[in-house]
Amino acid sequence: MKKPNIARGPLWPAIGLLLAAGVSLRAAADLPMHYQAQSTNTSVAIQGTSTVHDWEMKGPIIGGFVDFPDGVNFDTNQATLPGLKDGLLPAGVTARITIRSIRSEADHLPEVMDRLMREAMKETNYPRIEYHVTELKLQQPHVAGQPFAFDAKGSLAIAGVTNKVAFPVTIVPLGKDKIIISGTAKLKMTDFKIDPPAPNFGLGLMKCGDDIKIVFQWTLMYVPPKQP
Amino acid sequence: MKRKKETSKVDRRDFLKNTSVATFMAMMGGVELNLPAAAQEAKSAGGEAPLTKRPPFPPCRYGVIGAGVWGRKIISTLALLKNDDEFANTEVVAVCDHYAGWLNRAGDLVPKAEKFDDYRKLLAKPEVQAVIVATPTHLHRDIVLDALKAGKHVYCEAPLAHTIADAKDIARAAQSSFKLVFQAGLQERSHPHRHFLWPFIRTAALGRNVLVRAQWHKKESWARTASTPARTDELNWRLHQATSPGLMGEAGIQRLDAVTWFLGGPRSGGRPSAVTGFSSLILWNDGRDVPDTVQAVFEFPDGPNAGVRFLFDATLCNSFDSEYEMYYGTDSAILMQPGNEARDSKAWMFKEADAAMFGWEVYARKDSFGAESGISLVANASKQSALTDKGTAASAPPAVEPLQYALQAFTANISEIGGAARTYEENFGGEDTADFRANMAENRKRALTQYPAAGWEEGLEATVLAIKANEAALKKQKIELKNEFFEL
Repeated sequence: MKKPNIARGPLWPAIGLLLAAGVSLRAAADLPMHYQAQSTNTSVAIQGTSTVHDWEMKGPIIGGFVDFPDGVNFDTNQATLPGLKDGLLPAGVTARITIRSIRSEADHLPEVMDRLMREAMKETNYPRIEYHVTELKLQQPHVAGQPFAFDAKGSLAIAGVTNKVAFPVTIVPLGKDKIIISGTAKLKMTDFKIDPPAPNFGLGLMKCGDDIKIVFQWTLMYVPPKQP
Repeated sequence: MKRKKETSKVDRRDFLKNTSVATFMAMMGGVELNLPAAAQEAKSAGGEAPLTKRPPFPPCRYGVIGAGVWGRKIISTLALLKNDDEFANTEVVAVCDHYAGWLNRAGDLVPKAEKFDDYRKLLAKPEVQAVIVATPTHLHRDIVLDALKAGKHVYCEAPLAHTIADAKDIARAAQSSFKLVFQAGLQERSHPHRHFLWPFIRTAALGRNVLVRAQWHKKESWARTASTPARTDELNWRLHQATSPGLMGEAGIQRLDAVTWFLGGPRSGGRPSAVTGFSSLILWNDGRDVPDTVQAVFEFPDGPNAGVRFLFDATLCNSFDSEYEMYYGTDSAILMQPGNEARDSKAWMFKEADAAMFGWEVYARKDSFGAESGISLVANASKQSALTDKGTAASAPPAVEPLQYALQAFTANISEIGGAARTYEENFGGEDTADFRANMAENRKRALTQYPAAGWEEGLEATVLAIKANEAALKKQKIELKNEFFEL
């Protein structure tokens, strides 16, 4: 991953707004298949290492939405996916993870772990992790009966730093109108200017490793367009 | 963060040294039941060493409604919270009292806080996140209902109200405000020492429960004087049955709550089935119609406490031995005396000679108690932390008042439960759905495990018990405690 080079001057919020407006206009015109995040069947886990033990924190919530072109149907039994253009699936993705929804499951002092994590991720100033997709490429060949596998490229904002990231994801249908997007993103804390926490537990120094994995399963439901 | 590997930090030499001292102590006699400051810091039963620094909770801005003696005590306790890094962001930003004299005195304690003579004006302030209602008991209802409606987290002093109808209105409003924190002012519920003692009672260290006795003794009149007759009347709401839940409510509710909690609570046979009361006005015959001396006998239904009675007495006529609870069982007796300064608020266990030893007694500290010897129970006594503690921990509980723990819990739960509500709203909207409620129930459970506190259920239970005990005392008769009294 390259070091980020994102200006955070006062002009950016305005440009951000313009971009957001542009994206939503585009979404309405080209990508009418709107999927909204669901609160069930969704999980996100942050896994890491430390000098003492491996650790894991979990959350049940990923907010946001995904837009696809008309006619996209994730029927895994089919040999291909409708809506592909040159192997790419046009998509608008906004995924948000509220940092305080991610919790420690430690046996001891989980509430302190939670707050250490919030502190490390500068939660007061940057309460959400936000992801936008820029390219979704279907891995070929797709085998009928298997999940649709993609290489996703996008931008990920954590603790005020936005980086380009790439990781594989899979999409499978759930019932008639839902889809589940799953994947694992491997990241380094320092790429996002986060110092790996080194809490002092009175038992000598424990230091977290720089490498972390974000493992997610995200359920979304198709929302038909409102009739005028 | 999930801990996957644990290593023992007990040094063999420490183990031998501490074990032999503890064994010697135990050979001397009884057990002192105390939670040492260090263990309390760690707040974990697993004997984890304390964190040197805990990250602070996000800012929490309080409004205090009612600036009388207790309201001002709450203000100064909130100021004390700030000494702890964890609660450094706590702030009183508004105080309210319709009596200018008290409002000014409260303002002196927190000069930066805005002063209001009407609680509705305080509730209109968006920067006030949470309110603490410390007005006279009979004025709680409207304030609490309006505060919850205004989206404020509420800490309501106990008893919740002076009538069951008012208490139920408050409980209903708190129940439906599922995005907010409602805490009843039953401080013992947040006290780490209580949570340390509870297992001793609930794991049959007493043997079979036989009897519980508790008292609240003070020598004071409760009467107040002011410059005008109208103000004097207003101040003396405690002295008249129309506005006062009497000694059972104003003095006894913390004991009634603690004892019925320790006997199992409403779901495990700890809700009394009947109360018989007695009352007299012996000393303070100044025109009041509220007795200055009361007794109550609570009976329990068939179940784990069948045949057990709880004797409570309160008086304003004699101060001897202040307050305590004494639990008698077939194997031992446990004495708890929160607030009993003469005895360092210590808790003690006295074992019967024929009672079986559980094993943990060898690690326990023992002191003489008058002509008796008692076991002075120490937290984590049988755990590794007791062994690594090198005997330096104070044997008395730390000098932190129960109110401080209760306000800490309130602050922590506002952060956790209030934050969880915001998180859900942000992602899925704020509509009142079954999913939202289920999500909040989960978060509430989690938060309360870490920072225990009394909610509306405990508040209503204790308030009904106190009101009915007061009624029984005034009528000097027995009242059957029907389930419908407690149900919404």
